[in-house]
Amino acid sequence: MSEFLGYIRPNGDVGIRNHLLILSGTVYANGVCDRVADTIHGAVPITHANGRCQVAPDLRVTRRFLAGTAMNPNVGAVVIIDHFKEEGMTAEDLADDIAPTGKPIATVNIRGDGGFISAVDKATRYAQDFARQISLHQREAAPMSKILFGTECGTSDTTSGLASNPANGLAGEILIAQGGRMLMAECTEWMGCETWLTDKATSPAVAEAILAGVQHMEARALASGEDIRGSQPTGDNMAGGLTTIEEKSMGAVKKIGDSPIIEYLEIAEAPIKTDPGNYVMYGPGMGAESISSMAAAGCQVLTFCTGGGHTSNHPIMPTIKVTGNRGSFELMRDTVDVDVSGVFYGEITLAEAGQIVYDEVERVCNGYLTKSEALRDNNSFAIHRVGPSI
Amino acid sequence: MKRVFVVYATDNVGTAVLEAIQTGDHVGCNGERSDLEVIALDPIAYGHKIALMDIAQGDTVLKYGLSIGSASRDIKEGEHVHDHNVESNRGRGDLAERETVTAE
Repeated sequence: MSEFLGYIRPNGDVGIRNHLLILSGTVYANGVCDRVADTIHGAVPITHANGRCQVAPDLRVTRRFLAGTAMNPNVGAVVIIDHFKEEGMTAEDLADDIAPTGKPIATVNIRGDGGFISAVDKATRYAQDFARQISLHQREAAPMSKILFGTECGTSDTTSGLASNPANGLAGEILIAQGGRMLMAECTEWMGCETWLTDKATSPAVAEAILAGVQHMEARALASGEDIRGSQPTGDNMAGGLTTIEEKSMGAVKKIGDSPIIEYLEIAEAPIKTDPGNYVMYGPGMGAESISSMAAAGCQVLTFCTGGGHTSNHPIMPTIKVTGNRGSFELMRDTVDVDVSGVFYGEITLAEAGQIVYDEVERVCNGYLTKSEALRDNNSFAIHRVGPSI
Repeated sequence: MKRVFVVYATDNVGTAVLEAIQTGDHVGCNGERSDLEVIALDPIAYGHKIALMDIAQGDTVLKYGLSIGSASRDIKEGEHVHDHNVESNRGRGDLAERETVTAE
């Protein structure tokens, strides 16, 4: 069992970062959040377009995304800002959801606190106190079993299913052998390899939930007038050499290894179980929503396998980009972290590529900055919608 | 000799990711199956697959060690493997109907 140096939280979770989060409760508080974060050392703003005029099931999902992100072990303290009396999700409601983690929380209400200028004043003072308070936290030794390792693929190409995804699956197996957990979402990409997944399910209930999740996503797509089954693989996939939906999906799901699937989660829901193994989550193929749902579920770190070279980076969950396309790595050298294209040229084996990915994950868990973190290119917070704005 | 990439030892197809293959090229394998060598019967573009052995009609086409579909006709070693000779085993409403009729 190896260890890493992380931030041990009051509830026993272990973060790999110690962020001060400035969380917007509603679209109308985004401006105040950005202004506060501009002032305070190390503060990370999370802003979005939601929080108002949502139907109840949709608002519940938004609330899980926002509260879950603040509950993520990488967050040391949080200031929540909303603008008036948000129905069904006030700053106080979010604070109540986050409170069991034991981390410092403050709330500010723009109208209640006397307008934009006063709200910025009040929130900035909270944020300054929290920034100094969490600066006292030291990294301490913790077992790798505390890591929930999220994984995603996007801007995939021929190399993805052959190198970066299978190497990533092997990296997951290395973590799981040490008691850790791996999480995959994007159930749109399970189509065509349901049996491969259900064979790994540790109970009939998990297997049934996997099948129901794929069917539900297909039904939603059909209701929009779009038959994703008829369009998969897409025309450019076919031109690129992918023949069947099975071939495309297998390439995608190979980013988790051959470990058993312990639990099925609804979108942005934290796992209840702690057994080592794979965890799977309902969700769309849309990268930013998908990785945000995994950050809200508590993933401290995420690998993003990409053929074309993706820019995705989550504000509080370090996002390690892995490619098997040497050209993409050269072109996106400031953004893509790991190049495993050596497997094609006989320079490294797939097993060695898996170890390379795992080693990078472990380094990042110990504090090593990803390329996108160093650039502060925090572009990928997005909330999945399950209902219309009213 | 040109090379294709083979993901798993049980695969019966390789993928051209290092270089494009021309008809008549001698093709070796990187990754797994370094013991195999085939002669290309078709040009294989970047990202496309070549048969590493004869695959009979109805047999499973294996990549990543897993089924990516079935051969819709006999495929010869060295042939281009794509939608003209492989069909998906998914979304086959026609097959499901036939099975239902047989079961009845």
